[in-house]
Amino acid sequence: MEKDLKNNKNLSGPDITPDDGIIVCRNLTKRFGNNLVLDKIYLAVEPHKTTVVIGPSGCGKTVLIKHLIALLRPSDGEVYFKSRRIDNAKELDLSRIRASFGFLFQGGALFDSLNVTENILFPVRQHYKVTDRSGLNELVKMKLAMVGLDGFQKYFPAKLSGGQKKRVALARAIALNPEVILYDEPTTGLDPIRADIINELILKLQSGLGHTSVVVTHDMKSAYKIADRIIMLHHGKIIADGDADNIKNHPHPVVKQFINGQVSEDDLAVLRMSGKDLKSQFLPEDFQE
Amino acid sequence: MNDSAVGAFGAKAVEDVNNAGRAARFIGRALACAFRSLFRPKDYELIWTQMNIIGVHSVPVIMVTGAFVGMTLAIQAYDQLAFMGLEERLGVLINVSVVKELGPVLAAVMLAGRVGGALTAELGTMKVTEQIEAIRSMGTDPIRHLVAPRVLACLLLTPFLIIYADLLGIIGGYFMSVVQLGVNSGAYWSYSASGVELWDVCIGVIKGFFFGGALASISCYKGFHCREGAEGVGRACTEAFVASFISILALNFAMGVIFKAIYNTLWPLRMLL
Repeated sequence: MEKDLKNNKNLSGPDITPDDGIIVCRNLTKRFGNNLVLDKIYLAVEPHKTTVVIGPSGCGKTVLIKHLIALLRPSDGEVYFKSRRIDNAKELDLSRIRASFGFLFQGGALFDSLNVTENILFPVRQHYKVTDRSGLNELVKMKLAMVGLDGFQKYFPAKLSGGQKKRVALARAIALNPEVILYDEPTTGLDPIRADIINELILKLQSGLGHTSVVVTHDMKSAYKIADRIIMLHHGKIIADGDADNIKNHPHPVVKQFINGQVSEDDLAVLRMSGKDLKSQFLPEDFQE
Repeated sequence: MNDSAVGAFGAKAVEDVNNAGRAARFIGRALACAFRSLFRPKDYELIWTQMNIIGVHSVPVIMVTGAFVGMTLAIQAYDQLAFMGLEERLGVLINVSVVKELGPVLAAVMLAGRVGGALTAELGTMKVTEQIEAIRSMGTDPIRHLVAPRVLACLLLTPFLIIYADLLGIIGGYFMSVVQLGVNSGAYWSYSASGVELWDVCIGVIKGFFFGGALASISCYKGFHCREGAEGVGRACTEAFVASFISILALNFAMGVIFKAIYNTLWPLRMLL
């Protein structure tokens, strides 16, 4: 488990306090109906570092990251940002707190009806009354240059490729120079080269801006490359917490299976049982009259 | 009835009550945000854009609807009135029906289809592609940013669109009655003027506020709460239209009763003024 070196404290253990990280979750539990998605999570996110959350699809990674910015409210437990409790804050108070966050959504979530410039300026216009148009254009140019897309100002999202959309969404996420950037599956759906461009961008922004990053992914190559710390979620609980070397050598069998991309014996048994004799399967033409 | 059926019925009832509560809360917040937007100049651009999309772009279809309503009324009513020798009174029948009932209701139904469907589909797509969550993540209230301008545009412009529908309904009725069916023009207008009061026109226009508010709120609510995928968006659009349509008819009935009571009580007092 990851230790806070100064205090020698476990940063995903039940003894963490709201002051142990820039974002702290204590006893975080989330249920959707009878489905328990997060089960008593304790997590302190260290400032100015990149924390990567890994885990199989459907294990609650996205649900966890949405709690960090109070887009979802917990069924039980608390979430703190800079020692201030946010899980029970009013939406009006949250609007100011959320200005300290940038969120890169899985599909980019760019506004279809706005072009690249308007998308990037959206958070700026919501929080500031800016009248200097040339200054705004300069800001957009700078943010787009940071993600390598200067010149795409007038494009609409429909004209951009998947990778370009994510880069524009990243430019929008950093428009307010946030203290924390949350990335939800930043490399999903991209080819390996485009995925690596996103990884490089995350590293570049991290070193250049020095903000705190929390990345949700199941791409282990990406996780190893960008992470200062990796935590693994399984059945709503944190089962591993450490740096990339710790995770590579982790003794937990589920962690080993996941990082090596191996299917479990139980899953294999199910696959073997289903459709044993493929030759005896019906074909569509068998149902013709 | 066995236990599982009772349980399922109870669960459905609880779910329906929850949904009704959620819808009431959403509509209440939307109307409150819409009211506050009136005093926030920063929001005027958003409202103006929606007014253009919802109001200006709906004018042709609303005018066509009104014209056909007037013409159809003339065709249907002429024979009965002519049979009794009352064809010159065709104008009263057409114009009272158009300004009080058919103009407002059919214009609102047309808007529920044209505008309501588009609102639900647009907001539903924004929801399933996480654009609404993106707005929240950037510290903006999506109800203030997305719903309030749309509700306000519908609320303010539906009465004007109803005036257009009334106008074309009257012209359509006149065209069929006088030009096609040969009713005397002077008598047509003279009976119309004696039969249609300012109160009748006001009722139709006031109904427009309620119809506009209802169809916009319902359509936005359905868009905000639609399920995942293309099927979810499609189903939300259908539900939005059906709910808007029923609300328009129910509101029309309720306002019919209320305005009749108000008329009977207050209208005679105008003589004192």
